[in-house]
Amino acid sequence: MAPRLTAVLGWLQERLGTREQLTRFLFRRLPVGTTWWHTLGSAALFLILLQTLTGFFLAFYYVPSPEHAWDSLTYIQQEIPFGRFVRGLHYWGASLTIVVVFLHLLRVFVMGAYKYPRELSWVVGVVLFLVVMLFGFTGYLLPWDQKAYWATVVGTHIAGTAPFVGDYLWRILQGGVEVGTRTLGRFYAAHVLILPAVLYGLILVHVSMVVYQGIGPTPRGPLARLRRQDYARLYEESKGRGETFLEHLVRDAVVAFVLLLALAWMAATWSIPMEEVADPTDTQYVPRPEWYFYFLFELLWQFPGKWTVVATFWIPLAGVLALLLLPFYDRTSGRSPLTRPVASAGAALALAAVGVLTYQGATAPAPPREGGAVTQETKALPPALAKGAAVYEAQGCSACHVLKGTGTAAGPDLTRVGARRADAWLRRFIKDPSAVQSGASMPPYGELPDEELQALAGYLAALK
Amino acid sequence: MAPDPSVDTVPPGRRRFVAAAMTAIGAAIAAIVGVPLAGFFALPALRRSERRWLEVGPVADFAEGRISKALAKPLVGPVWPRETGRVALYVQNQGDGKFALYHIHCTHVGCPVRWNAPAGRFFSPCHGGVFDKDGRVLAGPPPRPLDRYEYKVEKGVLYAGRIFKVNDRLEFAAWHHA
Ligand code: FES
Repeated sequence: MAPRLTAVLGWLQERLGTREQLTRFLFRRLPVGTTWWHTLGSAALFLILLQTLTGFFLAFYYVPSPEHAWDSLTYIQQEIPFGRFVRGLHYWGASLTIVVVFLHLLRVFVMGAYKYPRELSWVVGVVLFLVVMLFGFTGYLLPWDQKAYWATVVGTHIAGTAPFVGDYLWRILQGGVEVGTRTLGRFYAAHVLILPAVLYGLILVHVSMVVYQGIGPTPRGPLARLRRQDYARLYEESKGRGETFLEHLVRDAVVAFVLLLALAWMAATWSIPMEEVADPTDTQYVPRPEWYFYFLFELLWQFPGKWTVVATFWIPLAGVLALLLLPFYDRTSGRSPLTRPVASAGAALALAAVGVLTYQGATAPAPPREGGAVTQETKALPPALAKGAAVYEAQGCSACHVLKGTGTAAGPDLTRVGARRADAWLRRFIKDPSAVQSGASMPPYGELPDEELQALAGYLAALK
Repeated sequence: MAPDPSVDTVPPGRRRFVAAAMTAIGAAIAAIVGVPLAGFFALPALRRSERRWLEVGPVADFAEGRISKALAKPLVGPVWPRETGRVALYVQNQGDGKFALYHIHCTHVGCPVRWNAPAGRFFSPCHGGVFDKDGRVLAGPPPRPLDRYEYKVEKGVLYAGRIFKVNDRLEFAAWHHA
């Protein structure tokens, strides 16, 4: 080493006395089978640091009040040099962070790294995951556009369904009886002050535990099945043959760099969806959550009426507990996913469920148009059918039915209903659904004038 | 040379004293700082009577037997926060000076419901919730009828007050923010 540098390091060592810790941190040995998959944790940390940095700078211009939030973001995006880019990094970085944190969790699960002696690292990791989701929830409101406002109305309603404390929770989240100035204030405080403090505190604990316990190795060879009594010996042996952390750091750096490139590309080329400024009096708006909450939103379909609380509270609670307590009820010695079929199958099932629900959310039909809107297509129809189409629109059928990809999929898709049902059947059904088909949940349209009913049934019967 | 740090270098009696002193001081600090902060954070949100009356408009604007959307103006005092500029609600003039004022949030998870006059129904755009003109659930997942506002008429002007829930027979069930 250059004598100059040695002198500087020596000077620092005299004052800080940290050389030994640093050496132990950088040159600690890792077990055999530390792979590219083991970079996901540091990748998550990198993204979180980046979110923090871009967040610092966004805070210079962003104003957390309903009067100014939307304008200040528009100003950031349109007037400030690099504004669109910086906000893009933060915006797309949020989604990417959630993806990477989730993949990290998945890696740890698949490699059985939540088992002895890393149970607590896992527990803290799960809490970190929840904190990251909370960042998403609170950050989503800040732009104060329509989707931000309405997603938060729905989000706080969902929190409000919690048994016993729901009503309090709801109001405490909102800071009052409605989503407004104070909601924005507290979401902002949580997003930029409280959650970061919690996040970095937990990260410190999480990383210290990783350094102390060593990284969970790829469960191959003798490490595939580890009993407590053999653990220390086999892990030490493996470390004897492995590389140092310093060498692994190159992988971490490469992954971080590639992620940054991807993110920069997204920020530079993708436009950030920004809607009109929030309007709490708009009754035509159709709320949608951010994609990582789709699964929760879609789950609501499965539990109507008084069962709603199952989807909004009990299932999420069960999911969080199942994750948190995993190391304490899965006490098998197998670490490779193949040696613990029950846990693997359970996780695969849960993952598939979340995947399917997220996919459903992502491919949900376009929201219904405002009642009475006449499209080009209806104008081109022969008059009799056009009348039926007008009745369809006016009566709000699209609030429950999908027609050619538009509407809400509460009832059957009517795009080809004519191929299944005849005119007369449809007429009887619309008038009194449960008389024709017991258990039909559609409300009767008995008051519909006969000619409108005829036009509607005729129109539907022609949809083939 | 100073002895190595170890529990035994402090006699048990002193250790107990330190533990007791630290606990007492710690608890006192936590209480002095924690109680006001917790109250500061949560209590304004839990205040019951905060909601002031909203001015909905002259009674004459609401035709008998009809339901229409109204933008009500909060009668704000001088104190921050002013909250949203206007509050939307649905007004049903039931005749005889009786009204029903409906909250626009679906009782399922809060999507804004639309009044559809030709169909005579309220539709929620999120999961196919349908309510009849009196706010009863006709279909879909909403667990209870539309929430309502208490109201009063003064000098021919309609005012909306607190929000309440109703049961399936449309009777008062509970204040929304009890
Ligand atoms: S929010 Fe109205 S049906 Fe779900």
